[in-house]
Amino acid sequence: MKGVPILIAVALLVTSTSYGQQPQPPPQNGQQPNGAPPSDSPIEPRPRDVPPGGRASTPAQNVVAVPVPVAPPRPNGPIQKSLVRITATEVAPDYRAPWNAGMLGRGVGAGFVIEGNRIMTNAHVVSNSRYLTVERDGDPNKYQAKVLFVAHDCDLALITVDSPNFYKNMLALKFGGIPELESTVSAYGYPIGGERMSVTTGIVSRIDFQLYTHSSIDQHLAIQISAQINPGNSGGPVMQNAKVVGVAFQGYSGDVAQGVAYMVPTPVINRFLKDVSDGRYDGYVDLGITYGKLQNPAQRKFLGLKDDDRGVLVETVVAAGPCAKILQPGDVLLSIDNHPIASDGNVELEGERVEMPEVVERKFKRDNVKFDIWRDKQSTSGSVQLDTVPPYLMQSHKYDVRPRYVLYGGLLFQPLSLDLLEAYQPTDLRLRHFFDFYVIDQIYREHPDVIVLTNILPDPINTYLAPYRGGIVDSINGKKIHTMDELSQTLAEPADRLVIDLIGDGPPLVLDPKQVEGARERIKMRYNVVREQNLQELPTAKAPDLQTKI
Amino acid sequence: MRSLFISVVFALVVTAGAAMKKEAASPPPNKDVKQKPLSLVRVNVTGQPYDYFRPWQKKAPVSKRALGAVLSKGRVLVTADLVTNQNYVELERAESGEKTAANVEVIDYEANLALLEPSEKNFLDGIAPLDIAGDTVVGDRLAAWQLEPTGALVATEGLVTTIQMTKYPVDVGQFLTYRISIPMQYRENSYTIPLVKNNKLAGLLLRYDPRSQLIDAIPAPIITHFLKEAEGENYRGFPGVGFSFFPTRDPQLRKYAGQTGKPGGVYITNVEPNMPAMKAGMQVGDIVLAVGNHEIDQNGNYVDPLYGKIDFTNLISAHSYAGDVLPFQIQREGKPMELKVTLEHRDAKDYVSPPYALDEAPKYLVLGGLIFQELSRQYLKEWGPNWQREAPQRFVYLDRFQSELFPGEHRRIVILSQVLPANNTIGYDEFSYLTVLKVNGQEIKSLNDLAAAVKQPIEGGFIKIETEEDPKQIELEAKSIDAEAPNLQENYGIPSLQRLD
Repeated sequence: MKGVPILIAVALLVTSTSYGQQPQPPPQNGQQPNGAPPSDSPIEPRPRDVPPGGRASTPAQNVVAVPVPVAPPRPNGPIQKSLVRITATEVAPDYRAPWNAGMLGRGVGAGFVIEGNRIMTNAHVVSNSRYLTVERDGDPNKYQAKVLFVAHDCDLALITVDSPNFYKNMLALKFGGIPELESTVSAYGYPIGGERMSVTTGIVSRIDFQLYTHSSIDQHLAIQISAQINPGNSGGPVMQNAKVVGVAFQGYSGDVAQGVAYMVPTPVINRFLKDVSDGRYDGYVDLGITYGKLQNPAQRKFLGLKDDDRGVLVETVVAAGPCAKILQPGDVLLSIDNHPIASDGNVELEGERVEMPEVVERKFKRDNVKFDIWRDKQSTSGSVQLDTVPPYLMQSHKYDVRPRYVLYGGLLFQPLSLDLLEAYQPTDLRLRHFFDFYVIDQIYREHPDVIVLTNILPDPINTYLAPYRGGIVDSINGKKIHTMDELSQTLAEPADRLVIDLIGDGPPLVLDPKQVEGARERIKMRYNVVREQNLQELPTAKAPDLQTKI
Repeated sequence: MRSLFISVVFALVVTAGAAMKKEAASPPPNKDVKQKPLSLVRVNVTGQPYDYFRPWQKKAPVSKRALGAVLSKGRVLVTADLVTNQNYVELERAESGEKTAANVEVIDYEANLALLEPSEKNFLDGIAPLDIAGDTVVGDRLAAWQLEPTGALVATEGLVTTIQMTKYPVDVGQFLTYRISIPMQYRENSYTIPLVKNNKLAGLLLRYDPRSQLIDAIPAPIITHFLKEAEGENYRGFPGVGFSFFPTRDPQLRKYAGQTGKPGGVYITNVEPNMPAMKAGMQVGDIVLAVGNHEIDQNGNYVDPLYGKIDFTNLISAHSYAGDVLPFQIQREGKPMELKVTLEHRDAKDYVSPPYALDEAPKYLVLGGLIFQELSRQYLKEWGPNWQREAPQRFVYLDRFQSELFPGEHRRIVILSQVLPANNTIGYDEFSYLTVLKVNGQEIKSLNDLAAAVKQPIEGGFIKIETEEDPKQIELEAKSIDAEAPNLQENYGIPSLQRLD
């Protein structure tokens, strides 16, 4: 089940420095309807104390001499033989100049060796990376690494090193289960504060569903721990009794809340490992419905339900989701895969009461799920093959792909997305509405791409067009435009003039194709535009050679 | 298009007595002024706005002290803001402290003006009324009149820097405004401040930004319009035409519209159904070249004899009255035409989501604990100055794009605003801010529709409410609602479960 995209202020845990005069992305604060105080934003992982172009260094004013402690017992064994330090050189796409390669940055995170000569880390440590190196304790060499699998929806990745020497003397870590509340765990990684491995300990504070801020739309189980984790801990193992019980991945920045850190727990890790076992990551599947509790006696009576605290009400069925074939609003779901659904939406799974979507969380693409349904006071049932629900991707962060855009006559057209909103920070009410209600109001059916005139590169041919900025394309020369491909094709068709209607009651935008053609080279030269359009979200980096033994 | 832009609005200072400190060096009293009797009275107002979150009650009373400008025929001019939602208005003579109650005779919320009359007819005797100075131009100096606690006049001079069209507080259309640069200090009773030129009333304070020391003032031409209209039997309000327009600076747009001849005029982007422009036959795509005898340039300005270039909507709002027939010279696909537009005032009630609702009790209906109301901008403004960001986003969207979403419809949007936990609303108590589509199968286009529909339960004695948002459907049992009603009223202190008029 996808969460409402409320961005709680959570910092991604990777240190990173930008080179030279790279422009900093603007502070992100667009989607914080709950009034969370501004903080280190989820997309801006650069620590504040780092001088531009420099390495992270210990802030001198905070260094206080402390007595050297007696070496503590090491219940988790020689972690140095499993832990690695990952340095990623990344290029983040620039949605304001999408023809450019983007902003260069560097991040440091942690990872650990698991069976099969693989290294597990966070997706956000290796996202948008162009060059990855891995270092291990007591070895002066830097080994080049490559990404095997990356799962942006649960912030996990597997990477590997080709050099045969690398895995010599390395120990693959084993995974444990869900640690008990209040039990002690230790987090290992390379956080700011020094160069070498760091250990922090804490207890398990809470086990609950959380928003994973890397995609900023997915919610999965996460475990809150009181161990201090900081930028650089990302991807590092959290251990208990010599077994990995989680991967450190996100937390609040210090000005929001202290001592609140989260790790990806082993059920999520195991699901990821199982998903990639066929050589491909398919990702989480979703029912594509919303449902509500059925606790009101009058409503139960109206629906002809017994007073047995069972069933949830289907409210919205997303047409692009897998359930559209068998469910309709007003249906009552009585059971899922023969697990009875309580009227508050819980099911019992392996002796634990969990929310109904947990049944789907554990499944994979093309798995089936079966419902017992109560419709029009009749009992029925149905089964669907699970799949992803593509429209949700519009509201999530994207990585490792080039942004789509079309530049025509200096007018930059881009599809609406979370990344686009964060890049431009528009305040336009219509844009916000199209974004917020894209899935739930099924806007994607008419506008698979919500095409926004995001920017205008000034030129004599478009000098009067500035007021049209921020508009959403409705039609061109009377023809409705649904996708970026259609936009590109329609703009290329010969016409005496182009009349672009934007949604709303504004005036049409009128262009003379001959003038546009005449200005093409001039605009490309003046604004250093390498390519005038990109219609596919192609990977930005070369896909890894999967021949390697995994 | 012009109507869609949010103009930057100056901070509206409403706290009376923000700066009560006496200045060390008061300006020397002006001899001319001292000799004449003051044409000002103090106005004391106790107001009590309705509480849209608890629509059956009013908020705590607020008191304001202000100044009123004494006009001829024993009337006192103040801003509408001051006396909106008033329970009691009192006039006080500055020199003697003598008081009398007053009535609001005429009020125009859009132009932000109101006329008061003392209940004692002779109360204003001996006070010389102010005439109106309608000829203020950029570069004139105006004096802001305030009173010391002693009753002495404090006059602060400022320079008129700009005369332009701006939005007034209730946000309906644009009106002429003077902007004055003035180093004014607030006195305890400076809510409504008259601006005076040669002892004549030139304007009334609309808003003041103490940081930049800029005043926006309601100018004399708007006051004159208001007073003239107030003389009539029924006050009708300022006229409108009901279209949106866009400048024709872009030669491509002019060519598209088929415009021939010299550049100029505005492109019509929207014509509202049932409004004067549509009744006169105006169409989207027309280019309005002139209104009356005034040519309009490609930015939408005409040349005013007093102000020079200024937005042509001033010709409609300030220069014309409802019922006037105004000739519009237009060009449609290159052909010149004349449209005779009979101007009308558009009442707030004629909108789908009324832009304001003041001095009137909000409608509501409480059904078993579900609170139903009609969407209005007044309701949205309960979220405070940032209501456009903070109020429920679907409601803000419906309000903002109402003419696009419900063209020509006479209806309201009924919302389920909150749920009071009660026996009937078990499991529903987390619902809020839902848009109601149907009740018992009947489409709901007003709260009265809803009140009628709930009286006809569907089979089994249920009331079924369908909403745009999740949960999509809510059911109640009719007989249990009636049985629980007294408890609900008792527990939540609701004197009446509905107010429908």
